[in-house]
Amino acid sequence: MQAAARASSPVASASRVARKTVRRLPLYILLIPMALVTLMPVIYMFSVSFTPEADTLRWPIYVIPQHPTLDNFQRLLNDPTLPILRWMFNSLFISTSITLLVLVVNSLAAYGFARLEFPGRDALFIGLLTTLMIPGQVTLIPTFLIMHNLGWLNTYNAMIWPAGANVLGIFLLRQFFQSIPRELEEAAIIDGSSKLRTYWSIILPLGRSAMVALAIFTFLSAWNDLFWPLIVLNSTQMETLPVGLTILTNSNLYTRQGETMAAAALTSVPVLILYAIFQRRIIQGVMVSGLAGR
Amino acid sequence: MKQRWRKVLPNYLFVLPYLCFYVLFRLGPDLFGFFVSFHQWEVLGDTQSFIGLGNYLALLHDSLWWLALRNTALFAVLTVAGNLVVGLGAALLVKQNIPGQQFFRVVFYAPVVLSVAVMAAVLQKMLDSQYGLLNYFLAWIGIPGIGWLANPNLVIPSLSAGTVWWNFGFPMLIFLSGLLNIPDHLYEAARIDGADGFAAFRVITLPLLKPVLLFVLVTQFIAHLQVFGQMFIMTQGGPGYASLSTIMYLYQTAWQYYQMGYASSMAFSLAVLIFAITLLNFRLFGQRVEY
Repeated sequence: MQAAARASSPVASASRVARKTVRRLPLYILLIPMALVTLMPVIYMFSVSFTPEADTLRWPIYVIPQHPTLDNFQRLLNDPTLPILRWMFNSLFISTSITLLVLVVNSLAAYGFARLEFPGRDALFIGLLTTLMIPGQVTLIPTFLIMHNLGWLNTYNAMIWPAGANVLGIFLLRQFFQSIPRELEEAAIIDGSSKLRTYWSIILPLGRSAMVALAIFTFLSAWNDLFWPLIVLNSTQMETLPVGLTILTNSNLYTRQGETMAAAALTSVPVLILYAIFQRRIIQGVMVSGLAGR
Repeated sequence: MKQRWRKVLPNYLFVLPYLCFYVLFRLGPDLFGFFVSFHQWEVLGDTQSFIGLGNYLALLHDSLWWLALRNTALFAVLTVAGNLVVGLGAALLVKQNIPGQQFFRVVFYAPVVLSVAVMAAVLQKMLDSQYGLLNYFLAWIGIPGIGWLANPNLVIPSLSAGTVWWNFGFPMLIFLSGLLNIPDHLYEAARIDGADGFAAFRVITLPLLKPVLLFVLVTQFIAHLQVFGQMFIMTQGGPGYASLSTIMYLYQTAWQYYQMGYASSMAFSLAVLIFAITLLNFRLFGQRVEY
């Protein structure tokens, strides 16, 4: 406070700065502990992942590891019953494929619903809207039975293709595409370019920010999904990271804590990096569209 | 006429790929699931026996189902209440135009991007009654080891508190967007009339935020009625059946006992319940929303 007052020379502005600082102080007194509590489990996860197994069950607890080590990660990577690199590949491949599929299929349909004329368009769209009222759990059992009949259980097909039915992306993109000025397309149509070209060279570039937002949220929810891979994948080699982590958590409560937290860390690092890069877009996206609701 | 169809037909091609996916993996399964719920359905059986409302009637007399429903309702109520209070509190704090504003927003939303598998693995360790970090901190102030997940009366509130930690960043951002939509001049007018601080919050913020509060209330309640991962990983429904949730019971019925018909009847019962709650919420609170 005094430092702030000394820093600026004119008396009037100095007292304004001082007043501001005093007013803000209670805010920080609330915000800083709250941020610490929010980050604590994440910090602790990383901390235990670098703690030697022998120290993970000691009391008093070392919140910061006294003898940091990479042992947990090494044992995890060398354990043939826990193919974590394969899980990472599976997660990456499945999430990326789902994201691409959703982007292509949803953006084509959203353009159709936003701009093109065809009989039954609005009725179809209202039909889709109604689907949003049905909770996703209803779809799980019958889709599982369909996967079973197709012989797709325990394959990437079972993980990827059902994601193409994602409804939310259509609403998001349609709304955004509708906000693009029509004149831009009309000019292109007079130029004689086809609808597909208009979609490709006008709508997609102008709708890029909505597409990026949809891509991020689709990737995150595919990466984090637990229920669907749990039921359609059943061999250790095919699992995704969240399911693999669950195997580890459920079976080794007191014996392999360091490895479990190392696996949790490896599951989180990719999404945390993605979050760090796209934080502004993600926060903006949630605020504007209410996406990523749980 | 023919001319017209020639013009219109290509337009269908844009929505056709999506509609295929939608019919195959959403509409079709939903209808198929409804059909399955009237059968005693064996995954490996050739013919499935039709039993009419049998599954639904059995559900009515299944004490475990009602227990699961009660647990789930308690979990959802506690979690939504916690999320509303913490989320709104955090939103009011990060709304202020101060240095570090974006930093705090990013930190509070960060746990939301983590998988439930990660969140549950870490919380299970932290809430352990013997070696958990939470009890370690509590020991400093003289509170002896509490069985957060081992005590049948504490397990749902503990899971709920953990979920609020994981999740409050989402309602926070929705509230924040609602708060930023309230025009500043209303607060200035209130200040001239002598309403400041809490009074302004009561007469301006809350009434104007009502639609957003309703939206968060309904969507969060529906989302948390579908809780699964937290229980599946941290407690397996235990101790006893104290934290068995409806979706967890559905999971066990379908994928541990392979009673697909019975599990489908659970899914549809839950869907009807969720639909009813949505309508009720809008009837109770929807009418009084004013802008």
